[in-house]
Amino acid sequence: MLINSNTKPMTLKQYQVLRMAVAVALGVIFSQAIIFRNYLIPIVAVTIAFLILIMVKKKVKGVVADERDYAIGGKAALLTIQVYSWVAVCIMFFLYARRDLNPAYEPIAITLAYSTCLLMIAYGLIFRYYDKITFLDKKVIYTVLLILVFVAVIVFGLRLFSGEDDWICQNGRWVQHGQPDFPAPTRECK
Amino acid sequence: MKNHIKELRTKLNITQEELAQKAGVRRETIVFLEQGKYNPSLNLAHSVALALNVGIEELFIFEN
Repeated sequence: MLINSNTKPMTLKQYQVLRMAVAVALGVIFSQAIIFRNYLIPIVAVTIAFLILIMVKKKVKGVVADERDYAIGGKAALLTIQVYSWVAVCIMFFLYARRDLNPAYEPIAITLAYSTCLLMIAYGLIFRYYDKITFLDKKVIYTVLLILVFVAVIVFGLRLFSGEDDWICQNGRWVQHGQPDFPAPTRECK
Repeated sequence: MKNHIKELRTKLNITQEELAQKAGVRRETIVFLEQGKYNPSLNLAHSVALALNVGIEELFIFEN
């Protein structure tokens, strides 16, 4: 076991350094995974990093975060969502307006638009959860309902935006599926 | 909101770190509390008051 119960307690400073090192390592792993087109490694890496940080956090002597950190975290999260939404929407309009220049612009613009919507819906639902549902008697039922709504939104979104009008690879040839408004991919169809 | 945290802490001869440990917060939070830059929750106000052996109303100056 990497971190067993006999290890010495950790200081807050050491924990922060370790957390930073884990973040850097994850960044390197992600970039390599994208280069080598291996998407399993990042999932495994994130899971391992998450478990390491949870285990290490228990060893920290002292308070890792207090109410002021949570208050700042809430404000920072809200501002991050707002900044991301505005930037994503601006880039989305820019790319969509220039979709004739490059067929790749449209899917990127749609992905940005959809991710922004998803982020705002997730924020709204989580806000509603903390604002109302945590105080209710039947909070388990409402929580399940909330998760179902979220999953339904994702499924509906994926159904709406994926693969209806596209090029599909069949018997070594690119075949039109629906009415794609961009040319067939230039990469080899295997 | 003003408070007497610094005076009482100095009187008890304890460091910000020690007070933070007793109150269950980070030292930076004590710094901000002493400077009056952070208004604590009722829970934290109670913890700090307990750590300094005084009541909340003696520690914090409530203003409109």
